[in-house]
Amino acid sequence: MEKIISIKNLNYTYPDSKKPAINNLTVDIYKNEWLSIVGKNGSGKSTLTKLIDGLIDADSGTIEIDGQEINEKNIWEVRTKIGIVFQNPDHQFVGATVEDDVAFGLENQGMPREQMVKEVDHALELVGMHKFKKRDPQTLSGGQKQRVAIAGVLATRPQIIIMDESTSMLDPEGRRTVLNLIQELRQQQDLTIISITHDISETELSQRIVVLNDGQIVRDDIPRNIYDMGTDLSKYGLEEPFSDELMSTLRNSVELPESYLNEEELMKRLWKLRSNM
Amino acid sequence: MNKLIMGRYLPGDSLIYQLDPRGKFLLTFYFVGIVFFANNVASYVFLMAFVLFAVYLSKINFGFFIKGLRPIFWLILFTVLLQLFFTPSSHPIWHWGFLTLSKESMVIASYIFVRFVLIIFISTLLTLTTTPIEISDSIESILKPLKKVNFPVTQVALMLSIALRFVPLLVDETTKIMDAQRARGVDFGEGGLIKRIKSFVPILIPLFVSSFSIAYDLAIAMESRGYKDGEGRSKYRVLKWSKRDNVTVLVMLAVTIILLFIRSY
Repeated sequence: MEKIISIKNLNYTYPDSKKPAINNLTVDIYKNEWLSIVGKNGSGKSTLTKLIDGLIDADSGTIEIDGQEINEKNIWEVRTKIGIVFQNPDHQFVGATVEDDVAFGLENQGMPREQMVKEVDHALELVGMHKFKKRDPQTLSGGQKQRVAIAGVLATRPQIIIMDESTSMLDPEGRRTVLNLIQELRQQQDLTIISITHDISETELSQRIVVLNDGQIVRDDIPRNIYDMGTDLSKYGLEEPFSDELMSTLRNSVELPESYLNEEELMKRLWKLRSNM
Repeated sequence: MNKLIMGRYLPGDSLIYQLDPRGKFLLTFYFVGIVFFANNVASYVFLMAFVLFAVYLSKINFGFFIKGLRPIFWLILFTVLLQLFFTPSSHPIWHWGFLTLSKESMVIASYIFVRFVLIIFISTLLTLTTTPIEISDSIESILKPLKKVNFPVTQVALMLSIALRFVPLLVDETTKIMDAQRARGVDFGEGGLIKRIKSFVPILIPLFVSSFSIAYDLAIAMESRGYKDGEGRSKYRVLKWSKRDNVTVLVMLAVTIILLFIRSY
C-alpha cells in the first residue's frame, strides 16, 4: 500500500502548557484507507489535525504529505490536498448561501467563475444537497450543514479528508447519513479518510483505529481487535461499543463468540438463537 | 430581535427584485437626495405617485411599508409637531404663549410628513427586495475605485458579509445565554433603568467570550480552506447590469427632470 501521510517523531507543546500535547508520535497513513483516531478530551487528537494541516508548527519531527515534507514554502500547496470538516457546523460557514459557501475554497484558489459554477454543482450533487443550493445555511439541519461542509471540502478535490469530530454534534440520524456518505465518497473518489472522535461507536466503518492517550499512540490495530479490549478501553477514557457491552452481559446466559461483532452481526446472531427455540 | 436587524428581506421575484443591487442601492440614495427638491403640492404628489408605483411593481403587500414607518413613528410625530407649532408666522390662526399655529406651518408640517413617508417607503423597498449579501456586494463594487489608494476593499467586503452571516448565530447565542442566566435567577425585565442595564452585563461577557471562540474556529476553518489574504481570489457571485437597469436609470432621470419643472422657484 502506498503511504499518503508519514509522520515521524512529532512533538508539540502548547505555549502556555508544560505537558506535551503530542509526544514523539510516529504513524503512517495509507492511501484510500479510513483511519480513526480515538482518544478522550485532551489526548491530542485535534492538535494532531492542526499539525497535519500546518495550522500550527511542530516543535520537532516531520510530516510528509504525499511525498512532500511540510514546510513554510509549500504549506499552501499541501493544504489543497487536505480538506477538514470541523465539529461545529455553524462555526465553519463563510458563505451566505449554500452555493456561496461551497465556492469559498475555489475562490481562494482563484478559479475562473464558469469552472467554479460546474465544480460547485458537482460537489453539491455528490453529497445530495443540490436542491438546497440557494438556501441560507441557517435553515438547514445539523446533518445537512455537515453535508454542505463536506461539499465545500470536496469541491477543491482533496486527496485526504479529515473529519475532526464532525459528527459529534449531530443526532443519530444525521450521524448515520454523514458517515455513510463519507464511506461512499471514499470508495468513489479514492479518498483517504481520517476521522477523529471520542465516541468509539463512530469508528465502525473504519479499517484501522489508532488510540491516542497523552499525545502518544497506545494502540494501533483493526477495529475488531480494539473493540475486543472491552473494559480496558476505559483506561484511555473511552467507552466500549454498545454491542460489545451487551455481548459481555449476555454471555452468562447465551452462547456467543469471543470476538467482537458489530450491531448488525450481533442482531443476526440473536434472532437465530430465538428461532432455534 | 432577529426581525429587527435581518428580517427585512422578503423573498420574491418581481421586477424590482431582478434589478441590479448596485443600481437599486445608488438610485435609492439618489432618490432620497432629490426628495429635498420638492417644494410644492404638485411635486410632492408626483413623487408620492412615483414611489407608490414602485411599491406596486414590487408586488409586496403594502402593510410591510406601513410597518417600516413604525420604528420612527415618534420621531416623525415630534418633527411634525415641532414644525406645526414653532414655525414663526405673521398671520397666526391660533396663538398661545410661544406656540403658534398658522396656515404656513400646517403646510410645512404636512410636507415634512410626506417627505418622511417617501424616504421610509423607498428605503424599505430597497431592504425588502435586496438581500444583505447583495447590499454588501454592491458596497464592494461601489468602493472598488478606492483600491487604487490601497484601501483593502475585498477584505472589508468579506468582513462585512461574514458579519452579516453571523448575526443570526449571535442572536441565537444571546438567547441561549439569556435563558441560562434566567435559569440561574437573573431577572431581565425588572427594576429601574440602571438595574436593567446592569443585568445585561452577565449576558455581554459570555457573549463576548463565545464570539471570540467562534471567530477563532472560523479563522482556522478559513485557513484550512486556503484563505490567505484576499489577493488572487476569484468571485463566485457576480452582479449583472442589464437593460432593465438602464431603463430604471432613465426613469429616474425623467423623474428628476419632471420634478425640476413642477417645483416652484
